[in-house]
Amino acid sequence: MIFKKLAAPIVCALIVCSSCMPQHHDRIVVASKNFTEQAILGEILAQYIEYRTKVPVERRFYLAGTYVCHQALLAGRADVYPEYTGTALTAILEEKPSGNEANVFQRVKSEYAQRFKLDVMPSLGFNNTFAVIIRGEDARRLHIHTLSEAGKYSPQWRAAFGYEFMERPDGYAGLARVYNLHFAQPPKAMDLGLLYRAIKDHQVDLIVGNSTDGLIQALNLVVLQDDRHYFPPYDAVPIVRQDTIRRFPLLKTALDDLAGKISEDEMRKMNYAVDGERRDTPVVAREFLKSKGLLQ
Amino acid sequence: MLHYILFHQREIGEATLEHIWLVGISILIAVAVGIPLGILMTRKPRLRTAILGSANIIQTIPSLALFGFLLPAPWLGARAERIAIVTLALYSLLPIVRNTYTGIMGVDPAVREAAEGMGLTNGQLLFQVELPLAASFIMAGVRTATVISIGVATIAAAIGAGGLGEFIFRGLAMVNNQLILAGALPAALLALGSDLSLGWVEAGLTPPHV
Repeated sequence: MIFKKLAAPIVCALIVCSSCMPQHHDRIVVASKNFTEQAILGEILAQYIEYRTKVPVERRFYLAGTYVCHQALLAGRADVYPEYTGTALTAILEEKPSGNEANVFQRVKSEYAQRFKLDVMPSLGFNNTFAVIIRGEDARRLHIHTLSEAGKYSPQWRAAFGYEFMERPDGYAGLARVYNLHFAQPPKAMDLGLLYRAIKDHQVDLIVGNSTDGLIQALNLVVLQDDRHYFPPYDAVPIVRQDTIRRFPLLKTALDDLAGKISEDEMRKMNYAVDGERRDTPVVAREFLKSKGLLQ
Repeated sequence: MLHYILFHQREIGEATLEHIWLVGISILIAVAVGIPLGILMTRKPRLRTAILGSANIIQTIPSLALFGFLLPAPWLGARAERIAIVTLALYSLLPIVRNTYTGIMGVDPAVREAAEGMGLTNGQLLFQVELPLAASFIMAGVRTATVISIGVATIAAAIGAGGLGEFIFRGLAMVNNQLILAGALPAALLALGSDLSLGWVEAGLTPPHV
């Protein structure tokens, strides 16, 4: 009998719970990928949108990569997330990594509008390119500054990259071809946050991070110059659903306000504040917005 | 460490509630689907391989892959929580279905014959004899499913479903062990706590003479 008695409450509980799932027409959802800079940018977008539009903003940060964020926007789980033009070009549109800043931006903007009904907003002001990184002590001992110079030492090195970098058209395969890199072992793929741990602990000797990563400075690492210009530009741009802009026209104004507001150096400092000084992301974002006079 | 958890207790508390909510709903769904499936297997032995086989196959898919598969799904994809709940419910099916089946099949044939001799209908046999005798087995399945789900639910943060996993991913991104522990410790405590309390329920459901 006990099961008959249980069946009714279980069914009721299911119905109640499924109906009380919040619907998201009355708020804006900001997403970000799973690394520190994205969480800071997400927080900056969220706080400023909240302030400018007075619409409640929900945060969905640390999503597992470009694909998950892109899918979230397409399905309407999220409305806005920060992306990089070069990443949108190669990882989402699957085109060859080439072109200058303006070309890539225009190409991505028109393709996104046509294919996905997504708006690519003006750049936030900095380019976050991939950074091929080695330990500072190695760079000084071997006297190398550029990727071309690093080629001949690569057989003595072990390398590690994020999962995305292994697969992307602007990723490892092309980089290895252009700079003639051959490592001691096949490169390891690991979570982005673990890369810095691995190079610091001498588990690997070369990693590919982002040029604005705060930990580069914090851990005394050196970025090798991309002297053959393998990587396309990666300008940070908010990407937003067109129908969300129709629902909240002020959202476009808010994102336009943020155009050109963050320099590469400012981004690196914010990343360092979070990664190096262990400060809270929302606090770092708020201080930045205040320093720019965008928040009171 | 303790200082850190105390400082972030509100955030951690919210994430813990989200976590419990995700696991709770998915277990309810798994129970509502899994127990009838288990009963069906005892009545229609030919379906046994098909049902157990599918539940087994689901179990072998890595959780992150399953979350990923469901991302573009039409209605499900509209909210990350829906994807998370469906995935967790799918993972919970196997222990619940299998234990329901094993529990009912384990009922002493002599007891079943006696019940049939007394003129009990199929429904009466199920609800008054078989299910009460199998209850502790079924509960053991629910218990296993709950503990597994609490673990898998931490991965759900990767698709934006929230929960304690968010601290773990944030900690990984920031190379910050305290943050990782701020997610992992409550999740471990949650798993231990639910294992203990469901263990008591299970003991209470065990028929006295067994």
